Amino acid sequence: MEGDIVAAAKLIGAGLAMIGTIGAGAGVGIVVNGAVQGMARNPDASGTVLTNMILGIAFAEAIAIYCLVVALLILFVF
Amino acid sequence: MEQEQNQVNVKKWRWGINRWWVLLFIVLSIITSRIFPPVQPHIQIAAEHLSKSPILNTPLLGEVYFTNTMVAMFIVDLILIGIVFSVNRAVKSGKLVPSGISGALEAMLEVIYNLTESTAGKWARTIFPFFAIITLTVLITNWMELIPGVDNIGILHESDEGHPIGEIAPGIWTVLPGEPEGQGYQIIPFIRVTSTDLNFTIALALVSVIMTQIIGVRAVGPAYFKKYWNTSTFFKKPVFGLIDFAVGLLELISEFAKILSFSFRLFGNIFAGTVMLFIIGTLIPVMAQSAFLGLEFFVGLIQAIVFGMLTMVFMAMATQSHGSHDDEGH
Repeated sequence: MEGDIVAAAKLIGAGLAMIGTIGAGAGVGIVVNGAVQGMARNPDASGTVLTNMILGIAFAEAIAIYCLVVALLILFVF
Repeated sequence: MEQEQNQVNVKKWRWGINRWWVLLFIVLSIITSRIFPPVQPHIQIAAEHLSKSPILNTPLLGEVYFTNTMVAMFIVDLILIGIVFSVNRAVKSGKLVPSGISGALEAMLEVIYNLTESTAGKWARTIFPFFAIITLTVLITNWMELIPGVDNIGILHESDEGHPIGEIAPGIWTVLPGEPEGQGYQIIPFIRVTSTDLNFTIALALVSVIMTQIIGVRAVGPAYFKKYWNTSTFFKKPVFGLIDFAVGLLELISEFAKILSFSFRLFGNIFAGTVMLFIIGTLIPVMAQSAFLGLEFFVGLIQAIVFGMLTMVFMAMATQSHGSHDDEGH
């Protein structure tokens, strides 16, 4: 395995691909921040807020999952 | 009142006896992981072929092999059909309060129906079946990864990157860690979770997105396609008409992005989950995997609900008329 530069490049590339999850993490944080504030101010609306919150989280999380899929492709396919 | 009745019926967790069982299994797993240390399985994204030769050979699809994710799909189908029969029996028995599986299913479908009705209004009866069956199918599919034996019982396959094998019982072999002296082997599992096959998730995403268009056309008529090809304000308002047209084209692109995001979200979550379970099980064979199985339980549940709910919300959005903004639909 010594000097196997392709394997090293694969690992580095997969690590770099996962940098994209920073944005998704911040996005999920912002979504939950808004939703919790909304629920605290108007507890009656918490059902609809929760539904929309999960939808928003799913959209934000999709970006992180793209990064994950790219990283997995680099690691296990190419 | 129902809760009180349930508490009487529920058998108490016999902590005094069951803790010795738990201790026994922990000791057993320590002993077995000492004798046969776990091997990190070979991870590949495409489903493994169980049949040597293709079962179908069509010019359009190419060679179709019998894969281990198909086995899992058949099992999911059998479970779904079993649920159908048990619910049918519960309905025919005439009891007003169903119990067991049918009771759980009634509670789940009631939540799903109320959610659909609050979002889609009068189109709830059209949209509800898609929401319900997608959620149920994906839920059972995802939870299959929690069953012991899935992903690790299978046939031995000769491989260049394989491991040596040892016999644990007559006729039963296991792979051992280390470099093989002669021919190396790998395990091809009989059952692999269907959600870790992109074919399954893309098929579900295609069903969801195409049915969204069909329901949209049924609700709004041919005017539905004005959402994508909006030239109504093109000549009336010089600048904003152009912007409306560009927005319509973006909507068209976002429909294709929906297929991608639907399929990759489910695939990525569940595949990453199985890979994580493999690696944790290899690194720390005792106890640690239990915590991650709990995590995967929730990931599977949430992904199933999200897939169904996004389908429902997109369909509900498609049933509302688009071109006019005079608040008639609200």
